[in-house]
Amino acid sequence: MWFDFSSLSGKDEVITVGVFSDSYWEVQNGYSYQILEDAIALFEEEHPGVKVRYVSGILKDDYPEWLSEQLILGRAPDVFLLFGENFSDLAEIGALKNLSGLIEADRDFSVEAFYPSALAYGKYDEKQYALPYECAPKLMFVNKTILDAEGIAIPEKDWTWDDFYEICEAVTKDLDGNGTPDQFGAVGYTWSEAFDANGVQLFDEQGSECYLTGDGVREAILFMERLEGLHDGYQVTGRDFDQGRVAFQPMLFSEYRAYKPYPLSIKKYSGFDWGCISMPAGASGDNRSQLDTLMLAMNENTSHVHSSWEFMKLLSADERIQEEIFDYSEGVSVLKKVTESDKALKLLIDSSGENSGFDLQTLSDAVDQAVVVPRFRDYEEAISEVDKAVTDIMAGNANISTQQIIWNRQINTFLKSKEEKR
Amino acid sequence: MREKDMNDNQAPKMVFLGMLNLNFIIILYMTIIITVSLFGYAQESTALTFLQQVRSMPIVPWKIPVVVLLLFGSLFLFLFIQTENNLLVFVKIGMEIVVSLSIIYLLNFSYTGILFLILADITRRLPNMKGKFTAIGIICAVYLLTDYNLFSGRYHITSLDTYLVYYRSDVRSIMLALRNILNSLNMLVFIIYTILLMRIQMSEKERILQLNEKLNHANEELQQANRRMEDYSRESIKNAETKERNRLAREIHDTLGHTLTGIITGLDACITLIDMAPEAVKEQLKVIADVARNGMTDVRRSVKALRPDALEKMELEKALVQMMEEMKRASNVEIEYCCTASLTHFNKDEEEIIYRIVQESITNAIRHGKASRILIAISMEYNIINIWVKDNGIGCAHIEKGFGLHHMEERLGMLHGSLNCFVDNGFVLEASIPIRWGEEIN
Repeated sequence: MWFDFSSLSGKDEVITVGVFSDSYWEVQNGYSYQILEDAIALFEEEHPGVKVRYVSGILKDDYPEWLSEQLILGRAPDVFLLFGENFSDLAEIGALKNLSGLIEADRDFSVEAFYPSALAYGKYDEKQYALPYECAPKLMFVNKTILDAEGIAIPEKDWTWDDFYEICEAVTKDLDGNGTPDQFGAVGYTWSEAFDANGVQLFDEQGSECYLTGDGVREAILFMERLEGLHDGYQVTGRDFDQGRVAFQPMLFSEYRAYKPYPLSIKKYSGFDWGCISMPAGASGDNRSQLDTLMLAMNENTSHVHSSWEFMKLLSADERIQEEIFDYSEGVSVLKKVTESDKALKLLIDSSGENSGFDLQTLSDAVDQAVVVPRFRDYEEAISEVDKAVTDIMAGNANISTQQIIWNRQINTFLKSKEEKR
Repeated sequence: MREKDMNDNQAPKMVFLGMLNLNFIIILYMTIIITVSLFGYAQESTALTFLQQVRSMPIVPWKIPVVVLLLFGSLFLFLFIQTENNLLVFVKIGMEIVVSLSIIYLLNFSYTGILFLILADITRRLPNMKGKFTAIGIICAVYLLTDYNLFSGRYHITSLDTYLVYYRSDVRSIMLALRNILNSLNMLVFIIYTILLMRIQMSEKERILQLNEKLNHANEELQQANRRMEDYSRESIKNAETKERNRLAREIHDTLGHTLTGIITGLDACITLIDMAPEAVKEQLKVIADVARNGMTDVRRSVKALRPDALEKMELEKALVQMMEEMKRASNVEIEYCCTASLTHFNKDEEEIIYRIVQESITNAIRHGKASRILIAISMEYNIINIWVKDNGIGCAHIEKGFGLHHMEERLGMLHGSLNCFVDNGFVLEASIPIRWGEEIN
């Protein structure tokens, strides 16, 4: 917006980057700025005359507010990390630069190198407003010790709800004989995972309509009711899983990776062996799950579009930097080639400490086929409405189809009111 | 009356200035509300919530007052541009609309009353502006279209309410109330302004009506004067006709009378001589014939230009001498002539009257005085020419002015001259004419 005098005076061009100090994946690994520092060193070497600066010490929890304040005051960095939940708002109000033109004009930049699902995360209204930086798919965490004890094989990667239910039914047992079961099938498998597995699309792209009335939804709810029926009213918690009494728990890949490196976890989880497989496929769906992605966006008002774009490319699309994600972060590289490389596999095996039968293809497929949720401004609120609806339907004894219609109408009204409020 | 007019013309100007100030205050007020709320959101860690509510990125807070004030300043300048050029007026109004819309946009459509200011500006120039209705139409359309609700659907405009959420609810309602009051006040001032302008125009019309009436009155008077003028002119023509008739009579008397007198005297002589000297009679008759012929020419000339023919052909001096010679020969009267003045460079009317006086005096001396000797002297004294004629005739006890003398007096009167006659061993005639030297060259 302002004329850049630095290019005239011969001084270095300075671009600023907005980052936070701790891990996006809630894991303190001590390497928070490592990848960024490496990228800056590389960038400044390859682009003499351009300096990259960042403000350190902003915590992840404070980061969205800090970024919003900087945007309002017109002091936002040229390039900044962006969370999925803030993306739609900022893209809608025009705080983010539309990168589509830059992508098209840049011959070095290959869209195909990215996982389409990760790239789609930064799309709003058909335009690319952000590039993925690192991601983590949701995978099924398996307590191998229980399965071994029960004589059950680790499920194949194309396993289904039926397989899932069978295993859960088989492992749910009252081991100490006190009348209540103390070994369970699954924890944390919610309607959200069930919907994704059954190919349910909840909203249209603009977020103006809800599709809660479909058969896929009904199937998912029926399956959830069956699954919960196994527990006989007992509320299974994450603590049960930690104590080695639950066979399955859906987890982000980052959480899975954090098991070993995190020093405290050694004691915490030392009681059993674990593994990681794809999510079960629903009756009308595939083995798909959601993807959490940390993104990079450019300030709409930056005066250093070219340098900012170059730096974004380095962070997001350069294999040298993306490889470091496996070294210093718990996420997955957004580049197919990097994630499927031998180096990544070696790193993952090293960090797991043993050959846990980890299949790198499982990880890559999970990212590749991840469900792309629609991007609209009130998505988070709309999802919590759906949560209310599903909880209500499952708690009541009324006809599911009727309830679906009633709740669908209610959520549509909510979406409309949100639209009108602005 | 004049003073009242001045006051009337001053009033809308003052109201317009008041309106300008009011708009400035409102815009400043809205700017402060928006800017303070933006800084507030950033300071109180509610920036994220705010951004989740807005429809577009707010402008950087410190820029809002700066840009708005700059725009208002330029609007101020545009409003006070005085121009008669139609194109320039349209450019000016166009710029005013653009600047106002920019301000409206910067203030998130929370205040659109500024368009009334432009409307007032156009209304001010209404009487002598072409296409004023187009301009008014455009502004009205713009005003109607700048409604927040209409625009917010299509474009991403954050409503003022989103900014106001920052303030405590009781403060918020006071702020909104104040905004509405100011807005209404602006509308009210605009209405007063238009009423004032209308009143001025109405009084102007009244004055024109009055002037019109006066004009009609004057016109009527003028027509009457014209009629009188025509009457006078008709009378004047009649007068001129009478005068001309008189003149003609005089002319006939002068020329024919003179010639006939010469002929009669000559013929009388012939009768006396015919037995004693028939040869001399022959000679005499020849002279008489010449006189008659000259008289004929004179008549022709009179008809033609009413000027003695001799004067047409030769200078006054020569004409006089020829006339005296002819008279001498025709009537055997001894005429002595003495002239001490130069007789050149007189005006035509002056030459004519000198000639006629001499001619008439000789005729009179022969016809009425039966004189045998006539003395004629012409002299110049300063700018007055004096003619002195004396005969040795019988004179008369009591001078009765006949047609000849009477006309001589008339002619002299026209040139401001004077005539004096008396008897002293015959008839003496003295005439004096002031000469208009100034025109002699002409």
